[in-house]
Amino acid sequence: MIVASGKLDHVSEEGIRQLVDMFYVKVRIDPELAPIFARAIPGDWQPHLTKMYAFWSSVMLTTGRYKGNPVAKHLAIPGVKPELFERWLALFDATCSELFDDATSDAFRVKAERIAESLKLALFYRPDRPWPQEPTP
Amino acid sequence: MTFVVSDNCIKCKYMDCVEVCPVDCFYEGENMLVIHPDECIDCGVCEPECPADAISADTEPGLENWLKLNAEYASLWPNITIKREPPADAKAFDGVADKLKQYFSPKPGQGD
Repeated sequence: MIVASGKLDHVSEEGIRQLVDMFYVKVRIDPELAPIFARAIPGDWQPHLTKMYAFWSSVMLTTGRYKGNPVAKHLAIPGVKPELFERWLALFDATCSELFDDATSDAFRVKAERIAESLKLALFYRPDRPWPQEPTP
Repeated sequence: MTFVVSDNCIKCKYMDCVEVCPVDCFYEGENMLVIHPDECIDCGVCEPECPADAISADTEPGLENWLKLNAEYASLWPNITIKREPPADAKAFDGVADKLKQYFSPKPGQGD
Protein backbone atom coordinates (compact mmCIF):
# COMPACT_ATOMS: atom_id res chain seq x y z
CA MET A 1 0.00 0.00 0.00
CA ILE A 2 1.09 3.56 -0.68
CA VAL A 3 0.42 5.91 2.25
CA ALA A 4 -0.56 9.61 2.04
CA SER A 5 3.06 10.68 1.67
CA GLY A 6 3.29 8.64 -1.52
CA LYS A 7 5.72 6.25 0.17
CA LEU A 8 5.49 2.50 0.56
CA ASP A 9 4.46 1.40 4.06
CA HIS A 10 5.75 -2.17 3.97
CA VAL A 11 8.43 -4.33 2.40
CA SER A 12 7.50 -6.30 -0.71
CA GLU A 13 9.42 -7.94 -3.53
CA GLU A 14 8.35 -5.09 -5.83
CA GLY A 15 9.47 -2.48 -3.27
CA ILE A 16 12.84 -4.20 -2.93
CA ARG A 17 13.28 -4.24 -6.70
CA GLN A 18 12.59 -0.49 -6.87
CA LEU A 19 14.92 0.19 -3.93
CA VAL A 20 17.80 -1.77 -5.42
CA ASP A 21 17.36 -0.19 -8.87
CA MET A 22 17.22 3.35 -7.44
CA PHE A 23 20.12 2.72 -5.08
CA TYR A 24 22.51 1.45 -7.73
CA VAL A 25 21.70 4.39 -10.01
CA LYS A 26 23.08 6.54 -7.16
CA VAL A 27 26.07 4.24 -6.60
CA ARG A 28 27.07 4.33 -10.25
CA ILE A 29 27.37 8.13 -10.26
CA ASP A 30 28.85 8.49 -6.79
CA PRO A 31 32.44 9.78 -6.92
CA GLU A 32 33.61 7.50 -4.07
CA LEU A 33 31.73 4.30 -4.84
CA ALA A 34 31.42 4.31 -8.62
CA PRO A 35 35.06 3.44 -9.40
CA ILE A 36 35.08 0.44 -7.01
CA PHE A 37 31.81 -0.91 -8.37
CA ALA A 38 32.84 -0.29 -11.97
CA ARG A 39 35.92 -2.44 -11.44
CA ALA A 40 33.97 -5.16 -9.64
CA ILE A 41 31.12 -5.18 -12.18
CA PRO A 42 32.69 -4.29 -15.52
CA GLY A 43 29.90 -5.58 -17.77
CA ASP A 44 26.17 -6.19 -17.46
CA TRP A 45 24.75 -4.99 -14.13
CA GLN A 46 21.54 -6.97 -14.27
CA PRO A 47 22.98 -10.15 -12.72
CA HIS A 48 24.21 -8.09 -9.75
CA LEU A 49 20.87 -6.31 -9.40
CA THR A 50 19.00 -9.61 -9.55
CA LYS A 51 21.30 -11.01 -6.87
CA MET A 52 20.62 -7.96 -4.71
CA TYR A 53 16.84 -8.34 -5.10
CA ALA A 54 17.29 -11.87 -3.77
CA PHE A 55 19.63 -10.76 -0.97
CA TRP A 56 17.27 -8.11 0.40
CA SER A 57 14.33 -10.43 -0.06
CA SER A 58 16.14 -12.98 2.13
CA VAL A 59 17.05 -10.38 4.74
CA MET A 60 13.78 -8.44 4.90
CA LEU A 61 11.20 -11.06 3.96
CA THR A 62 13.08 -14.21 5.14
CA THR A 63 12.42 -15.90 1.80
CA GLY A 64 15.78 -17.69 1.65
CA ARG A 65 16.05 -16.59 -2.00
CA TYR A 66 19.70 -15.52 -1.73
CA LYS A 67 22.43 -18.02 -1.06
CA GLY A 68 25.98 -16.79 -1.21
CA ASN A 69 29.12 -15.76 0.58
CA PRO A 70 29.25 -11.96 0.75
CA VAL A 71 32.34 -11.95 2.99
CA ALA A 72 34.41 -13.78 0.36
CA LYS A 73 32.98 -11.60 -2.42
CA HIS A 74 33.98 -8.40 -0.62
CA LEU A 75 37.43 -9.74 0.26
CA ALA A 76 38.08 -10.24 -3.44
CA ILE A 77 37.43 -6.57 -4.33
CA PRO A 78 40.57 -4.43 -4.45
CA GLY A 79 40.41 -0.96 -2.94
CA VAL A 80 37.61 -1.49 -0.42
CA LYS A 81 38.13 0.78 2.58
CA PRO A 82 36.13 1.01 5.83
CA GLU A 83 34.88 4.53 5.10
CA LEU A 84 33.34 3.38 1.82
CA PHE A 85 30.88 1.40 3.91
CA GLU A 86 29.75 4.67 5.53
CA ARG A 87 29.21 6.19 2.10
CA TRP A 88 27.33 3.10 0.98
CA LEU A 89 25.10 3.26 4.07
CA ALA A 90 24.38 6.97 3.60
CA LEU A 91 23.25 6.42 0.00
CA PHE A 92 21.25 3.34 0.92
CA ASP A 93 19.48 5.10 3.76
CA ALA A 94 18.70 8.11 1.54
CA THR A 95 17.18 5.79 -1.06
CA CYS A 96 15.13 3.93 1.56
CA SER A 97 13.76 7.26 2.84
CA GLU A 98 12.76 8.33 -0.66
CA LEU A 99 10.83 5.15 -1.27
CA PHE A 100 9.52 3.92 2.09
CA ASP A 101 7.82 5.46 5.12
CA ASP A 102 9.90 6.07 8.26
CA ALA A 103 9.25 2.75 10.01
CA THR A 104 10.02 0.71 6.92
CA SER A 105 13.18 2.60 6.03
CA ASP A 106 14.30 2.29 9.67
CA ALA A 107 13.92 -1.48 9.38
CA PHE A 108 16.15 -1.49 6.29
CA ARG A 109 18.68 0.81 7.94
CA VAL A 110 19.02 -1.35 11.07
CA LYS A 111 19.70 -4.44 8.96
CA ALA A 112 22.05 -2.62 6.59
CA GLU A 113 24.12 -1.16 9.43
CA ARG A 114 24.50 -4.51 11.16
CA ILE A 115 25.49 -6.28 7.97
CA ALA A 116 27.95 -3.51 7.07
CA GLU A 117 29.56 -3.68 10.50
CA SER A 118 29.85 -7.41 10.21
CA LEU A 119 31.43 -7.19 6.74
CA LYS A 120 33.84 -4.51 7.97
CA LEU A 121 34.87 -6.74 10.88
CA ALA A 122 35.41 -9.65 8.51
CA LEU A 123 37.45 -7.53 6.09
CA PHE A 124 39.43 -5.24 8.33
CA TYR A 125 39.48 -6.42 11.95
CA ARG A 126 42.88 -7.51 13.24
CA PRO A 127 43.16 -8.67 16.86
CA ASP A 128 46.30 -6.56 17.38
CA ARG A 129 44.76 -3.28 16.21
CA PRO A 130 42.10 -1.06 17.78
CA TRP A 131 38.49 -1.37 16.69
CA PRO A 132 36.72 0.70 15.41
CA GLN A 133 39.56 1.68 13.12
CA GLU A 134 40.79 5.17 12.41
CA PRO A 135 39.91 6.22 8.82
CA THR A 136 42.65 5.30 6.36
CA PRO A 137 44.55 8.36 5.04
CA MET B 1 29.35 -9.51 15.90
CA THR B 2 27.56 -12.67 15.08
CA PHE B 3 24.60 -14.73 16.12
CA VAL B 4 25.15 -17.72 18.37
CA VAL B 5 23.31 -21.02 18.86
CA SER B 6 22.95 -22.01 22.50
CA ASP B 7 21.69 -24.65 24.92
CA ASN B 8 18.12 -25.14 23.81
CA CYS B 9 19.13 -26.28 20.32
CA ILE B 10 20.61 -29.45 21.81
CA LYS B 11 18.40 -32.44 21.01
CA CYS B 12 15.78 -30.11 19.49
CA LYS B 13 17.64 -29.27 16.24
CA TYR B 14 14.57 -28.01 14.40
CA MET B 15 16.72 -26.65 11.53
CA ASP B 16 14.28 -23.92 10.43
CA CYS B 17 17.25 -21.52 10.59
CA VAL B 18 19.18 -23.15 7.77
CA GLU B 19 16.47 -22.45 5.21
CA VAL B 20 16.41 -18.70 5.82
CA CYS B 21 20.13 -18.06 6.34
CA PRO B 22 21.33 -16.09 3.30
CA VAL B 23 24.97 -17.05 3.78
CA ASP B 24 24.72 -20.75 4.64
CA CYS B 25 26.66 -20.38 7.87
CA PHE B 26 25.09 -23.23 9.89
CA TYR B 27 27.07 -26.38 10.68
CA GLU B 28 25.56 -29.60 11.90
CA GLY B 29 26.51 -31.69 14.89
CA GLU B 30 24.87 -34.95 15.87
CA ASN B 31 22.30 -33.21 18.04
CA MET B 32 22.68 -29.45 17.56
CA LEU B 33 23.66 -26.80 15.03
CA VAL B 34 26.21 -24.00 15.35
CA ILE B 35 26.86 -20.75 13.48
CA HIS B 36 30.25 -20.01 11.92
CA PRO B 37 31.09 -16.61 13.41
CA ASP B 38 33.32 -15.59 10.50
CA GLU B 39 30.62 -16.33 7.93
CA CYS B 40 27.57 -14.92 9.74
CA ILE B 41 26.77 -11.40 8.51
CA ASP B 42 24.65 -10.54 11.53
CA CYS B 43 21.46 -10.12 9.49
CA GLY B 44 19.41 -11.67 12.30
CA VAL B 45 17.02 -13.48 9.97
CA CYS B 46 17.48 -16.80 11.77
CA GLU B 47 16.74 -15.55 15.29
CA PRO B 48 12.93 -15.36 15.12
CA GLU B 49 12.75 -18.51 12.98
CA CYS B 50 14.03 -20.79 15.74
CA PRO B 51 11.08 -22.56 17.38
CA ALA B 52 13.31 -23.28 20.40
CA ASP B 53 14.49 -19.67 20.83
CA ALA B 54 18.04 -20.98 20.79
CA ILE B 55 19.62 -18.25 18.63
CA SER B 56 20.80 -14.93 20.08
CA ALA B 57 23.04 -12.02 19.16
CA ASP B 58 26.49 -12.38 20.74
CA THR B 59 26.01 -8.94 22.28
CA GLU B 60 23.67 -10.53 24.84
CA PRO B 61 25.42 -11.24 28.14
CA GLY B 62 26.58 -14.70 29.17
CA LEU B 63 27.14 -16.12 25.70
CA GLU B 64 30.96 -16.12 25.70
CA ASN B 65 31.25 -19.87 26.12
CA TRP B 66 28.61 -20.49 23.50
CA LEU B 67 30.44 -18.23 21.08
CA LYS B 68 33.57 -20.32 21.63
CA LEU B 69 31.65 -23.55 21.17
CA ASN B 70 30.03 -22.26 17.95
CA ALA B 71 33.40 -21.17 16.55
CA GLU B 72 35.12 -24.42 17.50
CA TYR B 73 32.55 -26.84 16.11
CA ALA B 74 31.73 -24.76 13.00
CA SER B 75 35.18 -25.66 11.75
CA LEU B 76 34.74 -29.37 12.57
CA TRP B 77 31.15 -30.15 11.56
CA PRO B 78 29.65 -30.28 8.04
CA ASN B 79 27.71 -27.41 6.52
CA ILE B 80 23.92 -27.70 6.50
CA THR B 81 21.67 -25.66 4.21
CA ILE B 82 18.68 -27.93 3.76
CA LYS B 83 16.23 -28.61 6.57
CA ARG B 84 15.38 -32.21 7.40
CA GLU B 85 12.93 -33.74 9.85
CA PRO B 86 13.80 -32.70 13.40
CA PRO B 87 14.38 -35.50 15.96
CA ALA B 88 11.16 -37.32 16.86
CA ASP B 89 11.59 -36.38 20.52
CA ALA B 90 12.51 -32.73 19.82
CA LYS B 91 9.44 -31.37 21.60
CA ALA B 92 10.15 -33.36 24.75
CA PHE B 93 13.57 -31.74 25.05
CA ASP B 94 12.44 -28.20 24.24
CA GLY B 95 13.03 -26.12 27.37
CA VAL B 96 14.91 -28.78 29.38
CA ALA B 97 17.53 -26.97 31.47
CA ASP B 98 21.29 -27.27 31.04
CA LYS B 99 21.35 -29.68 28.15
CA LEU B 100 25.02 -28.97 27.39
CA LYS B 101 26.26 -31.02 30.35
CA GLN B 102 23.89 -33.94 29.92
CA TYR B 103 23.31 -34.30 26.20
CA PHE B 104 25.79 -32.36 24.05
CA SER B 105 27.46 -34.52 21.41
CA PRO B 106 30.73 -33.42 19.80
CA LYS B 107 30.14 -35.84 16.91
CA PRO B 108 29.43 -34.36 13.48
CA GLY B 109 25.97 -34.54 11.94
CA GLN B 110 25.29 -35.76 8.43
CA GLY B 111 25.26 -32.31 6.76
CA ASP B 112 23.61 -31.75 3.37
